[in-house]
Amino acid sequence: MKALLSLRPWLGVLAERRGRLLLGAVLMLATLLSALGLLSLSGWFITATAIAAVSASGYLDVFTPGGGIRFFAVSRTVSRYLERLYNHDTILRLLADLRGRVFARLVTLDARTLARARASQWLNRLTADIDTLDNLYLRLLAPPLVALISILAFAAFAAAFLPIAGIVLLAVLLPLGLVATAGCAWWGWRASHRRVDRQERLRVRAIEQVEGLAELTSYRALDAHRALWHREERALLDDQRRLGQRTATGNLVVTVGIQLATLAVLLLGLEAFRSGQVSGPVMVMLALGTLAVSEGLGNLPMAFTQLGATVRAAERLNAQAELKTPLTGERLTSGGAAPSLSYRNVEVAHGARVVFSGLNLSLDPGQRIGIIGASGIGKSTLAQLAVRAFDPQGGRVEFDHQDIAGLAPDSLRARIGYLTQRSELFHDTLAANLRMGDPDASDAQLWDALERVELKAWAEALPEGLETWVGEQGRQLSGGQARRVALARVMLRDSPLVILDEPLSGLDAATAASLATTLDAWLAGRTALLLGHDEAALPRCDRYWRLVPGKQGTQLLG
Amino acid sequence: MKQQAAGVRPWYRGAVGCGLLAGLATLIQMGALAWVVDDVVSNQATLGDVAIGVALIVIAIAARALAQWGQEVCGQACGLRVKQQVRARLLVRLQQLGPVRLASRHSAGLASQLVDQVESLEGYYSRFLPQMVLAALIPLVYLVVVFWLNWLAAIWLLIAAPLIPLFMALIGMGAQRLNEAQFQAVTRLSGHFLDRVRGIATLQLFGLAERSVEEVSEVAHDYRRRSLKTLRVAFLSSAVLEFFAAVSVAVVAIYIGLGLLGYIQYGPAEQLDLFSGLFILLLAPEFFQPLRTLSQHYHDRASALGAAEGLVSLLEPDADEAAPAECDRSDKTASRELVPGAVELVNVELRHAGRERILGPLSLRIDTGEVVALIGPSGSGKSSLLQLIAGFIAPSAGQVEVRRDPAIAWLDQRPLIIQGTLADNLRLVAPDASDESLRNALTQAGLGQWLASAPGGLETPLGERGVGLSGGEGQRLALARVFLSPARLVLLDEPTAALDPETEQHVIAGLTQLAASGRTLIVATHHPAIMAMAGRVFAIEQGRLSRVERSADARETNS
Repeated sequence: MKALLSLRPWLGVLAERRGRLLLGAVLMLATLLSALGLLSLSGWFITATAIAAVSASGYLDVFTPGGGIRFFAVSRTVSRYLERLYNHDTILRLLADLRGRVFARLVTLDARTLARARASQWLNRLTADIDTLDNLYLRLLAPPLVALISILAFAAFAAAFLPIAGIVLLAVLLPLGLVATAGCAWWGWRASHRRVDRQERLRVRAIEQVEGLAELTSYRALDAHRALWHREERALLDDQRRLGQRTATGNLVVTVGIQLATLAVLLLGLEAFRSGQVSGPVMVMLALGTLAVSEGLGNLPMAFTQLGATVRAAERLNAQAELKTPLTGERLTSGGAAPSLSYRNVEVAHGARVVFSGLNLSLDPGQRIGIIGASGIGKSTLAQLAVRAFDPQGGRVEFDHQDIAGLAPDSLRARIGYLTQRSELFHDTLAANLRMGDPDASDAQLWDALERVELKAWAEALPEGLETWVGEQGRQLSGGQARRVALARVMLRDSPLVILDEPLSGLDAATAASLATTLDAWLAGRTALLLGHDEAALPRCDRYWRLVPGKQGTQLLG
Repeated sequence: MKQQAAGVRPWYRGAVGCGLLAGLATLIQMGALAWVVDDVVSNQATLGDVAIGVALIVIAIAARALAQWGQEVCGQACGLRVKQQVRARLLVRLQQLGPVRLASRHSAGLASQLVDQVESLEGYYSRFLPQMVLAALIPLVYLVVVFWLNWLAAIWLLIAAPLIPLFMALIGMGAQRLNEAQFQAVTRLSGHFLDRVRGIATLQLFGLAERSVEEVSEVAHDYRRRSLKTLRVAFLSSAVLEFFAAVSVAVVAIYIGLGLLGYIQYGPAEQLDLFSGLFILLLAPEFFQPLRTLSQHYHDRASALGAAEGLVSLLEPDADEAAPAECDRSDKTASRELVPGAVELVNVELRHAGRERILGPLSLRIDTGEVVALIGPSGSGKSSLLQLIAGFIAPSAGQVEVRRDPAIAWLDQRPLIIQGTLADNLRLVAPDASDESLRNALTQAGLGQWLASAPGGLETPLGERGVGLSGGEGQRLALARVFLSPARLVLLDEPTAALDPETEQHVIAGLTQLAASGRTLIVATHHPAIMAMAGRVFAIEQGRLSRVERSADARETNS
């Protein structure tokens, strides 16, 4: 029961569109009542005509019921079509909004929180989890409600003719509804709750197999990895089989219940007819009506055995909402001149591991400082602190003498050009990747930037030039080309403070040397923090500091 | 897609058989129901008189429910097996395509094909296919019964029936086309999301977070509009069916009613009584029920066909794919003569479709135990040459001869890190390795200290894309695999690209050990230390190899 609470925020989202949802439910009800009207009125009509034929008078008004039958025939079709179209539109509208909203929350998270969650799990949250939630209204909320209303209404209608029939209807159909909803949900809970995660694990294995195919095939390790894949697949299929069997059993119970209820109403009606309590036509009408009204229960077992999956999807989305709150602050107001940057008594720990304790470093306006250190020692951490990817546990980082903990990350980052250690390119065109640095850059400016990183000749030789797609994570480019595209992107940004993390990695010696010269000129007049494993791996700097392991985290040595 | 049915035929037949049984049970139930009502209303029979009829109804209900259960369970077994078969074939296919051709595809898109699109085949095999047979057979049985009761009523039903498949076929064709478009949209959508989510940190740095939210939302809305178009047509097909079903029931009801009253003098109307009238009325909706069920499953068919389109195009060979077979052949014929670890290239050429760069023609023989360095500006084709030797791509001309047994060790620029423990990641290349040899390999790769500080030791969990490992550490883990692997031939693409000098020394020492143990090393590198270690150094310029001669001193001090 407690698990159902995780649906609350999403019910809240549904409530924002309650007008549409209500209209959708009304259309559903109209469809069910039309079917009910069609079948029961036809039964009534045929029985009435049969009786009229053998009775003395032989007269019956055929026009009113005939018109009614025709009306229900048309209204059933029309309301069903409208209902399905309208409700699916509502749901898709909701889903599209939700996707945007979930992503909007993701982009405000800080770098360390982002590193904790994994990329394809997020993909799954964004698409599959939200898609799973569409069950909430269309399968789980509206149908039981409509079934309940129509059962109550028909029971009252039946009770007007034959009270005992109304009571029997409620006594059989209400518990049956409970079995089809709560019962099936309980029975399918574990398997369906697990299924979402199992499908996700299978997807992760698929991605591993695609991305790691080079290593897996050359090491002949593909079979070993396949064994992992098959284990996940078997677990998923077992769950699906179990759910399918339970759904089938739920359907069996509901079918038997509905048919027995119909039989019971018929037998009661027959008894009442013989004692003269009800007429023949009414008796037949009640039995057929029971059959029709029970249609509303038919799809419930299938929907409710899957309730666990819906709740699991909601739980995962909720967990994401509980990740840290975004960083905020005031807008940075200082001008565009080269700023100073200083770290004062900075303390950072990754879990139990102390990275910095009491670190001090300052860059004067226009000064160029090189930080040398082994990989994993904390160079990138220095850079992330400067762009306020996260806040230090102690001490402060100042941009132009303002503590950046009080600045809005966006306005701070707008002054900083930061080349990250990994060249992060997007599955888009070369031009689009470059324009991330300057959305308003003209094609000529893009070509200039490419020329500076010595990629102009290469790009001109491409059949599609700037419009060439770079592939997922820039895989269509070589490592060195991707590095230089990323560098060109930072140069286009033209910012007063520049941070370059291993700017020349992956380049051959000749290209590296000439790019170092280009960078040396470009960095003039800017404050710059350059990070590398070696002085030779960086353009010339005013001063170098060395990061070395110390007793209390990493220390700076001059 | 049809071939998939072969292995699952018994289950498929079981589903159809159970469905037929359910249809017959329904017939008996309705007949008994009409008889009971007629006997009581027309002949004033007591409930005791009709006890047999009531018992028959109860038995028919039970039989019907059980048969439906059987149909569902058999159908599902059929669907699950098909999914398993298709996934197995797709995995084999991915292997055939090889890492280089896969590099141009989006891994998330492929994963969604492998998992989610295959998932959408299930409904087609478990529900739609059996129901298609039932939708033809069951109405026929009912029609015969109604015809026997009253041929004119049967004709009313018959008039509506043939129109239905016609309409559905027309509408179905449109729905299928739209469904294919929708699947493309889903694949693109998931690729787009994964790409943007992975790069969120970069988007934040460039202040593009808000703009990309709009973009993501726009893509999602585009998906909605596409879906809705599909649904509008899909729903129309079932609406047409519903309409005919409802009108037919209404017409039959009015015909029977008027016939009973004696208003219709034509045909068999006079023979109608309450039993036959009620029986026909009860059968009329049941006559359409299998078709209605089929149309509910039409969605299954459309999505399965849409998915199948993409899956088939993945399974079918591309135009430029004759090459790998050729490569395999040369592999089999020639490699027997080669010692493990040796490599021979004969007049090899390589052309990338749509790109300028051409490799070759080049010939090269590398003996077991040699260390060869490949140098050249980035993009010159160093990686391509390694890929040729590894067999990931086939030469456009010439022959590559390598023995792939026991294995080739490969160090990627983006190392694979699977979800699992550190040990799982290492044992991938040597399933029987002891903990001790895992530790040794890690130490040789310069991860000894990291291992000592890792909380769970070898059982420390690593995530997708190496969460918990820095870039350099990931590369060192991949190096540890090289040390662990029994491979005689080791291909390394920029092994020191992201390493600091200290680790670099570890790695180079390790590589020297590898070479000393008699393994062949072919390294694409810019690093002077590795070049110095190499017996031969080749520069790649304009796709051609040229030997780089170094002073004898340099070689001696390093060998």
